Amino acid sequence: MDFLAEPLAHGFMRRALVAAMVLGGTGALLGVLVVQRGLAFLSDGLAHATFGGLALGLLLGTTAEGALWVALPFTVAVALAIGAVRRRARLSGDVATGVLFSFAFALGVLFLGLRPPREAVSVEGLLFGSILAISPSVLAAVLLVAAVAGGTLWLTWSRLAYATFDPELAELSGVRVARLEGVFLALTAVVVVVGVKTVGVILVGAFIVIPAATATLLGRSLATIGLLAAGLGVFGSAVGLLASYHLDVASGAAVIVTLAAVFFLTLVLRRR
Amino acid sequence: MTEPSALRLRDLTVSVGERLILDGVSLEVGRGEFVCLVGPNGGGKTTLLKAALGLVAPGAGAVEVLGRLPAEARRRVGYLPQRKAWSPGFPATAGELVLANLYGAWPWRVGGLARERARDVLGQVGAAHLVDEPLAGLSGGEVQRVFLARALVIDPPLLLLDEPTAGVDARGRGEFLALLAGLAGREDRSVVLVTHHLAAVRQLADRVAWLDGRLLAWGPPGEVVEGREGDPAFHAQDHDRPALCEED
Repeated sequence: MDFLAEPLAHGFMRRALVAAMVLGGTGALLGVLVVQRGLAFLSDGLAHATFGGLALGLLLGTTAEGALWVALPFTVAVALAIGAVRRRARLSGDVATGVLFSFAFALGVLFLGLRPPREAVSVEGLLFGSILAISPSVLAAVLLVAAVAGGTLWLTWSRLAYATFDPELAELSGVRVARLEGVFLALTAVVVVVGVKTVGVILVGAFIVIPAATATLLGRSLATIGLLAAGLGVFGSAVGLLASYHLDVASGAAVIVTLAAVFFLTLVLRRR
Repeated sequence: MTEPSALRLRDLTVSVGERLILDGVSLEVGRGEFVCLVGPNGGGKTTLLKAALGLVAPGAGAVEVLGRLPAEARRRVGYLPQRKAWSPGFPATAGELVLANLYGAWPWRVGGLARERARDVLGQVGAAHLVDEPLAGLSGGEVQRVFLARALVIDPPLLLLDEPTAGVDARGRGEFLALLAGLAGREDRSVVLVTHHLAAVRQLADRVAWLDGRLLAWGPPGEVVEGREGDPAFHAQDHDRPALCEED
């Protein structure tokens, strides 16, 4: 019981646990479509673009926390630009992502350099996030984003899945593929932005990709894979976070290591 | 009032970039008619089908499908693509693919009644037993049957089939063409088949269009194919085969 009761006696741990589980579930569900579309690099790319958005917020004079509300539209714009470049230049998703994310990240470095030295900014804090330092207002943003993303995914899942299978056939069956593509990219962007605020730029991609990859090894239908991925995301995030408390290690890294351990275990057992 | 043609092209011109793919093609496919499109690779056969589906825009001329603009008629056109874009990693079963076209969305789950519907349509192409099978494990011929069932599930008045026997072995091809012969002769369904198989043209077609950018010939198979049997547009193994049944 102490494994649960002791950490949950602290308010910061309760907030961190809720944020990790909600993000783990939402990110993993979205991740199923990201993985099936062969866009695993997209979440990493958007995480780097988020850095540009956070830096723009700081340049505009927001607090480090308030910069989240600048990073959200900034990263959505980068995500939609990736989609537009993909279509217009007929480039693969990874190439378009590679061009746009490095551009947005470089802008972030420039924005930080242009910022008057009012107060010190921890670039490390921007890059690595801190789930244990999550404030009630950021938790509220995480819950809002998760509710919007989860609800939109619920409403569009069947059409997104069809467009993932074959966009041309889906279009011929009446699915508005281009519009859905925009919705999908925007959803990925907002989930990545709140993920960056919690586990940081470097690790957020793992939240999205690893549980989805594990579930893909286990499930036989896309709906089953989605449910499994969400479950694994919630479970892995909770176990990793609680373990980090007891072992006194970095929480974001502990969550990702747990998710990865489940993936490798599944891979080994499945081969047998 | 007479029903509009299944497909009507007037001076259709399509370019991709600088390259002219179709140049002033005019033809009309009547209701219940079975038309084969033949000609060399790059001759514009697939582009013609995509123009009929509204997937490529004409540079000039007009396309009318079942009396309407192509994009408006899509849900009444069954299409079997030559190139299958799906990733083998996508967890799709044959039944799900068929139902996706019926619903216009990928099914969350395939319940009893929906599964029976998918089985019935797959049964029309001799593939009822594949309803729960993952697409990734099917042979080339089985995949083509499932995609044909996908096209048929909306009971379309117009079927556009783009080289449905590509990548299928000789036995499977013979069986598949016999299946298409079953689709021919229905007054309420027109078929446009892109093929490189002389046997298919001879057995199935009411009329044949020979395309090489322009419409070089258009008429009954005997007129269009005569003298062209050895043309590279037809697969070599078909040159001396008069009918599909010999392939079985």
